[in-house]
Amino acid sequence: MPANKKYLTTSILQRWLKITAGFFGGYGVMISFFLMLSYFFEKKNVMITGVAIGYILWAVLLLFAFLARSGWKIWLIYLILITLFALPHLLNA
Amino acid sequence: MNNRNYNIYFSTHTISGIICCALLYVIFFAGSFSFFKDEISAWQSNVSYEKNNQQAFPYRTLLDSLDKQYDLSGRDIFLYFSPNSPNTYVSITPSQDTIQNKKANERAYFNYNAVTKQEKTYKESYDLGEFLYRLHFLAQLNQVPLHIGYPFGYLVAGLVAFLFLFALITGLLLHWDKLVSNFFVFRPWSKLKTIWTDIHTALGVIGFPFQFIFAFTGVILIVNTVFLTPFSKLLYQGNMDKIYEDLEYTTTIDSPFQNKPLHAVPDIQAGIQQAQQQWPDAFLKRVTLKNYGDASMRLAIEVEAPTHQRFAGTGKIIYDLSTGKVIQQQSPYTSPTYISAIKSFIYHLHFGDYGGYFVKIINFIMGIVGCVVIVSGILIWLVARDKKNVPVHKRKFNTWLAHIFVAICLSMFPVTALTFIVVKVTGGSGQSFIYPVYFYSWLAFTVYYILRRSLDRTNRETLLIGAILSLAVPIVNGIYGNTWLWQSYTNGAIDIFFIDLFWLLLSVITFIAYLKIVKRRRHAVEKQVLPVQKHDEVSTFV
Repeated sequence: MPANKKYLTTSILQRWLKITAGFFGGYGVMISFFLMLSYFFEKKNVMITGVAIGYILWAVLLLFAFLARSGWKIWLIYLILITLFALPHLLNA
Repeated sequence: MNNRNYNIYFSTHTISGIICCALLYVIFFAGSFSFFKDEISAWQSNVSYEKNNQQAFPYRTLLDSLDKQYDLSGRDIFLYFSPNSPNTYVSITPSQDTIQNKKANERAYFNYNAVTKQEKTYKESYDLGEFLYRLHFLAQLNQVPLHIGYPFGYLVAGLVAFLFLFALITGLLLHWDKLVSNFFVFRPWSKLKTIWTDIHTALGVIGFPFQFIFAFTGVILIVNTVFLTPFSKLLYQGNMDKIYEDLEYTTTIDSPFQNKPLHAVPDIQAGIQQAQQQWPDAFLKRVTLKNYGDASMRLAIEVEAPTHQRFAGTGKIIYDLSTGKVIQQQSPYTSPTYISAIKSFIYHLHFGDYGGYFVKIINFIMGIVGCVVIVSGILIWLVARDKKNVPVHKRKFNTWLAHIFVAICLSMFPVTALTFIVVKVTGGSGQSFIYPVYFYSWLAFTVYYILRRSLDRTNRETLLIGAILSLAVPIVNGIYGNTWLWQSYTNGAIDIFFIDLFWLLLSVITFIAYLKIVKRRRHAVEKQVLPVQKHDEVSTFV
């Protein structure tokens, strides 16, 4: 019993959008999230915390992209999140 | 759980699993043996660490001979010790004194055995312990000439570890609703597919915490640069060294070269003894000599608190050798910094070095359980797609893929045992010896079982050959290494004894598994529960 196709993404474009959003977008969200934290807490402590839990966060973000209804939407959400999280850095630079 | 989510977990779990399964098996199998890396090295070289660990490290002799060989003046010398092993890595940098020192441009990196007092290059000292340890993060693939800015093998291993982490999360979510009820379901005598499913689910759930720990610490240890690189660019102006210093991976000793030679090189052994007396149980991890023979000469000693006393704790002491004064000191028994606590936690969880043989054996068993989960996963994947409504060309492809994956995976057991035997019989060692022995025999086994096209045969025969070869390992060590089990035990060479006993037990267990399979197979054929098909017969694994 492979997974029921009825519930899976059939469009190739959609599938690629979700995979790229999850892998690259998810990575961006994860990195920018810790980047934001580094402006509020001790920089090196944030980095070591990120080293420890960053990959789990990234894997969960990858899964979220697959759970999304539309690949465009999840890319948009992730891009907005990246911009938001990167704000402290962009304003400081 | 809604149906849509369930099917998405299902599909992503299947796909991430089937992509990384074969490599993940290699990582798990080699990784399980790597818990005994130092014991394997001791076994191969027949030099027991446990028998000799009372001897003091011969700093004076080593430094004198190095000074004659390289002229140490103006150089930095690093000694890296490893616990449970007499092997020390020595690294010597070029000299800053480019006028007096004629060999200033030379550098050296080699392995020094504190028991045999022998120096060997890295490739010469490369033994089976090192080989299996490196295989478990695919270091051998680094030789693939692809220039992508990061060693190819490490990148692949990192990707596999990440996919594994993802497959674990989706797998757990997939079984979440029925986690408790399914845990008690085991139907070994019903349909084939349910056997695989039950093995995969039950062992997957039991092993979940263990596997999760290894996926999560493994991905960190192999590719922490994937996380740190953006930070080095954004917050450190690209200075990765500064990041490693901030995160306490490296100790920098701030002492510029003065070019004023000291009259006599101070006694280094005394400084080290002093540190050892101060923290008697601590493990000496690294000794650094900066600017040898110069007025700016420093001695840095880095130690770790013993893991049976505390999980995290690093200490260091830095001497100014021109005056003999301590410049910096930090005890490994004070409470560790947040950074060092997290790093120690990750490291010790992954290496399983906090509870002696007991923890290592448990970890080994759980690692092999991981291997079983992987193979049963491949078989579920195959059986679920082996149906009449699936087009013939797809079924053919699936069967081939399963044959290839299973042949690669299951061959590893006899091949590993065979390599243990070959190194002992021939006495050969070093990278150039172990590579061809291991990889060619692995290739031969794999090709043979792919061509035989029978999962059942692959399973049965690799178990039987593996069992026979495992039994031969302690015998070969008795005949060719002159170390029978009882001798190493009475001599106090517990590490060597352990490896022989370990193979003996492995042999007994796999023999029992083999006999069970044969018996059940005969039984099944008689009752015709299991019709023997020509090309894709499948049988139980273990």
